[in-house]
Amino acid sequence: MAEVLDYVQFVLAPQVVTGLAFGVAVILVAIGLTIIFGLLDVINMSHGEFYAFGAFAALALGWLGLPFWLLLILVPLAMLPVGYAVERMLIQRVFNRPDRHVTTLLLTFGLGLVLEDAFRLGFGPNPYRPDTPIPGAVELFGIFLPNYRLFLIVVGAVVIAAVALVVYRTRLGAMVRAAAFDRNMAASLGVPVAWVYAGAFAFGISLAGFAGVLLAPIYSVFPTMGRDFILMAFTVVIVGGMGSIAGAVVAGLFLTQVQAIAALYISPVWTDPIVFGIMVVMLMVRPQGLFGRLGYA
Amino acid sequence: MPDALTVAARANHVLVGALLIAGLAFAAIGAALNDTFYLRLATEALIFGGLALSVDILLGYTGLLSLGQALYFGLGAYLSALVLMAVPSFWLALAAGLGAGLVLGLIGGIIAIRVRGVYFALITFGLAQVVAKVVYNTRSLGASDGLLGVPIINIDLGLASVSSASPAGFFLVVLAVIIALYAVSAYILDTPFGRLLIALRANDRRVPFLGYRTASLRLSSFVFAAVIATVSGTLYPMLRGFVSPELLFFSTSGNAVITVLLGGVGTLMGALYGSVLLTVLRSLIGTWTEHHLMIIGLLFMGAVIFLPNGLMGLVRPAVERLLMRKARP
Amino acid sequence: MVKAFQTSALAALFAAAAVTGVRAADPIRIGVVTPLSGTYAGIGQQVRWGLDLAVKEVNAAGGIMGRPIELLYEDEEANPAVAVQKAEKLFEVAKVDFLTGTVSSGSTLAVGQLAERAGKLIATTVSFADSITGDRCSPNVFRVNARAGQQSAALAVWLSKEKPQAKVFYLGPDYEMGRSTVAAFKASAEKVGASTVGEVFAPLDAKDYTQYFGQVRAARPQVLYTSVAGNDTVRLLSQLQEFGLLNNLSLVGASGTVTSQNIAAIGKAAEGFVTGVGYSTEINSPENKKFVDAFKAAYKAEPDLYGADSYGLIYAYKAAVEKAKSTETDKVREALRGLKWMTPQGEKTIRAGDHQAIQAMYVVRITNGQFKIGGEVKGDDAIGPDTCTRF
Repeated sequence: MAEVLDYVQFVLAPQVVTGLAFGVAVILVAIGLTIIFGLLDVINMSHGEFYAFGAFAALALGWLGLPFWLLLILVPLAMLPVGYAVERMLIQRVFNRPDRHVTTLLLTFGLGLVLEDAFRLGFGPNPYRPDTPIPGAVELFGIFLPNYRLFLIVVGAVVIAAVALVVYRTRLGAMVRAAAFDRNMAASLGVPVAWVYAGAFAFGISLAGFAGVLLAPIYSVFPTMGRDFILMAFTVVIVGGMGSIAGAVVAGLFLTQVQAIAALYISPVWTDPIVFGIMVVMLMVRPQGLFGRLGYA
Repeated sequence: MPDALTVAARANHVLVGALLIAGLAFAAIGAALNDTFYLRLATEALIFGGLALSVDILLGYTGLLSLGQALYFGLGAYLSALVLMAVPSFWLALAAGLGAGLVLGLIGGIIAIRVRGVYFALITFGLAQVVAKVVYNTRSLGASDGLLGVPIINIDLGLASVSSASPAGFFLVVLAVIIALYAVSAYILDTPFGRLLIALRANDRRVPFLGYRTASLRLSSFVFAAVIATVSGTLYPMLRGFVSPELLFFSTSGNAVITVLLGGVGTLMGALYGSVLLTVLRSLIGTWTEHHLMIIGLLFMGAVIFLPNGLMGLVRPAVERLLMRKARP
Repeated sequence: MVKAFQTSALAALFAAAAVTGVRAADPIRIGVVTPLSGTYAGIGQQVRWGLDLAVKEVNAAGGIMGRPIELLYEDEEANPAVAVQKAEKLFEVAKVDFLTGTVSSGSTLAVGQLAERAGKLIATTVSFADSITGDRCSPNVFRVNARAGQQSAALAVWLSKEKPQAKVFYLGPDYEMGRSTVAAFKASAEKVGASTVGEVFAPLDAKDYTQYFGQVRAARPQVLYTSVAGNDTVRLLSQLQEFGLLNNLSLVGASGTVTSQNIAAIGKAAEGFVTGVGYSTEINSPENKKFVDAFKAAYKAEPDLYGADSYGLIYAYKAAVEKAKSTETDKVREALRGLKWMTPQGEKTIRAGDHQAIQAMYVVRITNGQFKIGGEVKGDDAIGPDTCTRF
C-alpha cells in the first residue's frame, strides 16, 4: 500500500500536474485556432508562427526594459491590429473563392514560412530564454511544483474561462456565434460581420501570442518554435470539435494527460502516434468532434 | 465541337509534346557539353514532378488536399533502395514500387477517405508524420542517417542498356517513366471514371444522387495517386544512391503542394512544369541568398492570391485558343 | 620598323604577364554545404564564421601557393537530399576543389558517397558519429573534429576521478546521434566503474522534459548524462533547474550539448555542467588567444568547437595542398594522410588509417558562464582504435 501511495505521490501526481501546465498552454493555442476555424472557416497553418510572434515580441520589448507583467497584457493587445491587418489584407482576398478551405490553408502555410524566416532574419538562429518571472517552487503534499508553472496554470485557466464567458454569455459573443451560424442572417440583423470576422481572427492569433509570452520562460524562444505545437493543437481542435471552446478545453486536457501518462509506460516516441490514433478514431467515429461547431455548440 | 474538358485534355497533349521535345533537346545538349549537374537536377525535378502529379490527381480532380503524399513517395524510395541493394534490377524496383503503392494506398485510403476537406488534409498530414517518425527511429532502415550505398545499376531496355550513373541516359529514362505516368493519369482522367472524380470535386454531395458510390470512387482515386507517388519514389535512390527519412517529412509533401499550385491545380501538366519551375527557382534563389524560405513563401502567397490557376492558367488558355482556331474550318 | 617591333614586343610581354598573372590569381575554390536555415542554423553560423576568418587570414598572407581561396556557400536545409544536390552543383558547375560544411551525419555520409563517385574530397568539421571514420569510412572523407568516442574518453576520465562508482542516468534525444553518443559514453563509463540506473530517449525537439523527471527522481542518480543539443538543451537544463533536480545532481553531456550559441539562453542552469570536448575558449596557448581575439573582433561572439574546428580545417587544407604542390584529389589525399598541423587547440594529426583527426581532448566545466578547462587527455589516449577497413 505504501508503495502505491509512494508511486502516486512521486511519479503519477507530478506527471499529472506538469501535464496540466502543458495542457493549459495547448488549450490557449487551440482555442485561437478553433475560433478562427469555427467562425471564419479558415485553417490557419501559420498559427504556430503567431505563437512564436508573441514570444519574440515579448523578448524584444523585454530587452527595452518592460516588466513581464506588462508584457503579458501589452503583447496580445499589440497583436490585435496585426491579426486584423492579416485578415483584411490577405485572407479576405481568397475568402470568397469556392475552394476556400484549400486556398486559406495554403495561403496561411506560405505566411508561416515567411514569418519563420523573418524571425531568423531579425533575431538570429540561436535560442533565447527570458528569465523565469517567479522563481522558486513549493512543495504540496510532497509534490514539487515550480511557482511559475502554478502561475501559468492559474492564469491560463482564468483566461480560458474569460474567453468562454465572453463567447457564451455576452452580447459580443452572441454576435460572433450568430455570424458563425448564419452569416447573411446575422448581417441582416445588424451584426457588423466584416468586423466580427477580422476581429475574431485577430483575437485568435492574439491568444496564441499570449501563450507564447507565457511559455517563453519555460520553453525558450527560437525561430522554429512555431512547429512545436501545431500538430497537437490541430489534434485538440479536431477531437474537441472545430469551433467549440468547451471541446478545445476538454480535448486539450484529455490528450495532454494521455500523452503525459503514456510517457511513463512506453517509449516517448510512441506518444505522438497514440495521440494521432485518437484523432483518426475520432474522425472515423464522430467527425464533428466531441462538441461540434461554434455556432451549434 | 469537342467539349471544354476534351479541349483542355488536348491542350495538355500539346504541352506534353512540348515538354518531351524540350527534354530530348536538353538531354542532347547536356550530353554534348558533358554536363552532369543540370541533367541530374532536371532528373530530380521530374522525379518530384511525379509526386506533384499524384498530389494534383487528388487535389485538382478529386478535390482532396493531401498534405502527406510524401509518405508514399518516401516509402517507395526506401523499398527501391532495399530492392536495389539486394538485386540491382530497375524493373524489379519499379514493380516493387507499384505493388507497394497498391497496398499502402489501400491502407492509407481506408483510413483517410472517410473524411473530406480539412479533416482529410490533417489525417494525411498526421499519417505521414507518424510513419516518418517510425522510419526515423528504425535501426534496420538506417534510422536518422538513412540508407547509403545504393549501387549504380544498368537499366536493360531490350535494345540498349543505360547506366543510372549516366546523366543524360538516366534523365531520358526518368523522362520516359514520368511521361508514361502522366499519360496513364491523363487517360484515366479522361474516362467516365475520371469525369466522376471531377464531379466529386465540383460537388460531392450530388454524386450519390447520380447513382455512384463516392466512397469507392475516392478510394480508387487515392490508391491510384499513391501508386503514382510510390513509383516516382522508386526512381530517387537510382539517381542519388541513398534514401533518408527527410523524404517522408512534411517539407517534401509541402513542396509538392507548392509545386502543384504554382503549376496550376487540376491540369496534370502543371505538376510537371511546376516542378521544373520550382527546382530552377530554388536552385537560383538558394545561391543568391540564405533567405530562400521567405522568398518562396512570398511567391507562394502571391500565387495563391493573384494566380489561382498557376502557370498553366497563363499558358494553357493560349494553347487552347490555338487548338480551337485550328478546329474551326 | 623598330618602333613597330618594340610595341609588339611590349604587347607580347604584357600579354604574357597578363596570362601568367591571371593564372596566378586563379582562386582555389572550396565549397561549403551547411545548414543556413532550420534547426541547425546556429551551427552553420559558427562553421561559416570559422571558415571565413581562416580564409581571410590565409588570403591576406598570400593564399595557398599564391592562389587566393574562394568560399562558395550553399544551404543544405539540414536535409541530406538537398545537401547532395547542392554538393553536386558545387562539384560539377562551380568545380570546387574541396568541400566541407555538412553538419548531420546523414548529410556527411550522403555527400561523402557523392564525393567518392565524383572523385573529390570532403571534410567534416562538425559531425561526430563514430561511423563516419569507422565502419562507414570513405577514402574521400576526412574529419578534423573529435568524434563521439574521443569525447566519451575524456569525460570518462573525469568521471573516474571525480565521481568514482557513480550512478548514472542517461537522457538522450531519440535519433542516431543521440543514441550512439549515449552508448559510447555508457561503454566508457561502465569501464571505469560507474553503474547505469536508467535510460530514457526523448523525441527530438521535445518541449517538455518534465514528464521524464519522475523516472529520474525515482532512480536517484548522482550523475545525469545527456546528449541533447541546441534548443533542446536550453529546455532540458532550464526545466531541470526549475524542478530543483540540479541541486544534488552532476550534469555531464556531449560536446555539442552546451556551446557558446545556447549558453546565454540556458543561463545559470548550465553552471557546473561538465563535458569532454575538443575545444574551449579558455585553452591557454598563444594560437588560441590570437584566434579568439580575432574571432570576437570580427563577429562580436565567442567561437565554439564548430567555429574552431572549421577554422582549423582551412589551415589543414593549406598545409596539405602545399605539401602535395597540387589540388588534385589523389595528391591531396596522400598529403592529408598523416598530416600534422597547428590549430588553436594545439597540434592535430590526421590518422592515415581512417582519416580521423587525433587531438588532445579537454575536460571542460562551465563556471560562471565560462568554459573552464578542468583536465586534459592526450590525443593518443583519447583516440580509439582504427576500425576502418575500406582502405
